[in-house]
Amino acid sequence: MTTQDGGGILPGAGAGADGSTDDASAEARAEWAGRDALTLLNTDIPRVDGPEKVTGRAKYTHDMRLPEMVWAKLVVCPWPRATIEALDVTAARAVPGVVYAEAYKQVGDELTYQGYDGIVAAVAAETPEALEDGVRAVVTGYSRNNPPLVTREQSLADGAPQIGRGDVNMRVESSTGDREETAAALETCDAVIEATYTLPVQHHVCLETHGTVVDYRGGTEATVYHSSQNVTGGARDFARHLELDSENVRVICQHMGGGFGAKFGAGEEGRVACVIARALERPVHLMLDRRQEFLMAGNRSGSRQVMRGGASKDGKLVALSVDAEKFGGMGPGSLPRPPYIYDVGTSFAEVRQVHTATDPNRAQRAPGHPQASFAMECMVDELAYAIGMDPVSFRKANLSDEVWHRQLDRVAAEVDWAGHPNKTTPGQPGADGMAEGIGFGVAVWGSGSRPSTVCDVRIAPDGAISGSTAVQDLGTGSRTLVAAIVAEEFGLGVTDVTAHIGDGKLPPAVYSGGSITTGSIASAIKDGAYQARVLLEPSVAAALGTEPGHLIWLDGRVYVDHALGRSLSWKQACATLAQPILGTGRWQEHLTGRGVHGAQSAKVRVDTVTGRIQVLKMVYIQDMGLPFNRLASRSQINGGMIGALSYGLHEVRVLDEDTGLMLTDGLGDYRIAGPQEIPELVALIDDEDTRQEAMGFAEAPIIPGHGAIANAVFNACGARLRDLPLTPDKVLAALAG
Amino acid sequence: MAERPPLDRPAPDGHGGGFSRRSFLKGASSVIAAGGVAARSLEAGMTEGAEAAGAGAPVISGETEITLDINGAARKLRAEPRTTLLSALRVRLPEPLTGTKEVCDRGNCGACTVIVDGRPVYSCLQLAVDLQDKRITTVEGLGSPEDMSPVQAAFCRHDALMCGFCTPGFVMATTACLDKHGTPSEATVRHELSGNLCRCGTYPHIFEAAQTAAKSRAGGGLR
Repeated sequence: MTTQDGGGILPGAGAGADGSTDDASAEARAEWAGRDALTLLNTDIPRVDGPEKVTGRAKYTHDMRLPEMVWAKLVVCPWPRATIEALDVTAARAVPGVVYAEAYKQVGDELTYQGYDGIVAAVAAETPEALEDGVRAVVTGYSRNNPPLVTREQSLADGAPQIGRGDVNMRVESSTGDREETAAALETCDAVIEATYTLPVQHHVCLETHGTVVDYRGGTEATVYHSSQNVTGGARDFARHLELDSENVRVICQHMGGGFGAKFGAGEEGRVACVIARALERPVHLMLDRRQEFLMAGNRSGSRQVMRGGASKDGKLVALSVDAEKFGGMGPGSLPRPPYIYDVGTSFAEVRQVHTATDPNRAQRAPGHPQASFAMECMVDELAYAIGMDPVSFRKANLSDEVWHRQLDRVAAEVDWAGHPNKTTPGQPGADGMAEGIGFGVAVWGSGSRPSTVCDVRIAPDGAISGSTAVQDLGTGSRTLVAAIVAEEFGLGVTDVTAHIGDGKLPPAVYSGGSITTGSIASAIKDGAYQARVLLEPSVAAALGTEPGHLIWLDGRVYVDHALGRSLSWKQACATLAQPILGTGRWQEHLTGRGVHGAQSAKVRVDTVTGRIQVLKMVYIQDMGLPFNRLASRSQINGGMIGALSYGLHEVRVLDEDTGLMLTDGLGDYRIAGPQEIPELVALIDDEDTRQEAMGFAEAPIIPGHGAIANAVFNACGARLRDLPLTPDKVLAALAG
Repeated sequence: MAERPPLDRPAPDGHGGGFSRRSFLKGASSVIAAGGVAARSLEAGMTEGAEAAGAGAPVISGETEITLDINGAARKLRAEPRTTLLSALRVRLPEPLTGTKEVCDRGNCGACTVIVDGRPVYSCLQLAVDLQDKRITTVEGLGSPEDMSPVQAAFCRHDALMCGFCTPGFVMATTACLDKHGTPSEATVRHELSGNLCRCGTYPHIFEAAQTAAKSRAGGGLR
């Protein structure tokens, strides 16, 4: 770390200030400072909105309370396929306090899937209690249409009603490689594994349900509070639903209770809120209840992958044939093209969409990747054991990008793989029936950025400094990133800078999806801060008797690089300004990068008597270009590992095959990992990645964990589980045989 | 294929005129209030209520004014007998306290945890009218952004929050845990927090924050 003593030329804390004397050339532009020169970035930065969140002051969409606001709720048919036999809102309208009750469907209408199509009416009332009475007073009756079409078997049965796009229940989405050629290559392998891997539909379970508070009181303008991953792009939907010009619709999302990919666009719940607001010309609070969140707010598609994989005895993946099905309900589902990460000599993959009469899938943290990873990591593992090779060595032999090699070595070391007794064959339980094992997996993500973000950096003569961009903060820490990058430029503390985000009236920002937020906004923030510094330095340099380019901004002061005794405090420096200055920052390609890697190890203990799996430890390492906030980055890595553990061991959506009713429509029945299920977690940032580029990464850590756990179970006791979640009954069945 | 069984009613909770278990429980509460019975668990309340109803106790319904002791101040509000404490805080107070979060409204997730007479409770499972003689502490009552409690400060320091929606519940549950155990082991912390759920995956940082807060409180500044 650079220090002030010695009187030499110090590297600047910010971009472009590399200490050279002639950096005012035409090439001058924002550049990330070297990691040794950073004083705030690349350290642990507690998030700037933490105090608001931990004291309950942070206002989420759910928390908006506006004068004259009414409470609204959807009335939803629970059956996937039904015909409406009765629908009458007359009694609801008569309930005291109810101000709106409308049916959106008619008797005789056919409801075609569980989800948005099941919205039959909505009610609004003065209080939540009156709303409850009003919803209960809506008369509905349905006859179920059989079969409910909620399972693969029902959907693919002869004579099944065809419900998907183009009136088919199954369509081939892509076919790559040559089936026969691959079959021939499999014949040449020393070991061939045939296996089917299945993963159920997973829910996002955002703790704040989907919804909006639409503040429209007539006229030509509206403000919409929306739990949203796309503040800037959100106005369009709401403007259409409100029949207003989109520049007159302001979307606000100061804080949001999770998104995970499910919160783009207004949704039907947002549209209905607008319809009610237009009818009443009063603010409308409409959030899905927890049950509706499960029924209609999206999911991660399920997957069934039938694989034949083959390896040579020297440890090469020779051939892989995959027939994959995606279960995205009425949606297409997601799955990256097999063989996914690994290099395979000859491969064939056919990917099919299979539709059921259920809620369409939506993007969910690393869409499709956890499904592809589980099948591929298990197949790779099975082949490694089949040829008697250490699964770490086998992976490295089939991964061309060497970043994974060092990462695998690191996560292997953290669980003492070298000292583990059984590396090429599964272990045996001890006298107590317990067996311990270790498993692995790797992750990839494209990341990258979009050029749409603009960030304004303002500095006032009184020392007030802010960064402003409309970006939302899903909990990843984007608000803190705005403040931190600006603060770094001027040697300030993160709390010295005010970050304005989450408001459609601010300069536009990118949506948050695919881990592109950091790459997109960081460069614009940096550029804005740089532009502001260029505007600030002339008057400050004059006051210090030097030239711009000879200033060092550090620890809340500004120094002259060749005369450190001459300095001003931040406030004194700003006081040299005659008026406020504004730096307008835009996306800068040279400040961003793409492509991240991760590796996972997991250590488990399996009770071979009861079948219970206890995860003891998970280690994950992630590269991320220039790490901005190490604390928040570790939080994201932990979150990924826990998400994968939860998916691997606990989560499963269950629909009753006879009626189609969702049996797991609450947090009591749809289990997610809680405090008791959390193992020792080691979240590592890969500091061997020296790219001086901004990029997001947080999709990646959720990809390989459940595969690594399944592989650890096999390593422990020889139980190969190919179907999530990894429950005790499956362990016992696998051990039996 | 359009085989049509008889109309499916009553529909599940909250849909199409159905009468749910929860609405029954909340309805039963009106009698508890009238009987002036002290606060108790919802299940116990139901039993008492049913007995009271059998004895012909008067039933109140509709809105009445009640007073709750929230964060050390007497707060008047209008509530119905079925109004939960969660709804009283978030909606019914003239100046609503929205720090306490509604996530499941069914006692599954702990996001609505508040402290009542020193014990952590799910406010979605408490009826406001039952709590008129109780001391209620919400996350707003523990501290402010400028003057955070040791638990709140430790949550910030360890980044024991991401989206922040489960955070108030975890802050309250952690505070109650430290009130009860002083300097608990991590196993005790996990046990005491096991009624709370987080989706972002903040658990390990919450465990760290609990240890830091315990040390900080042991060193003075108990709140």
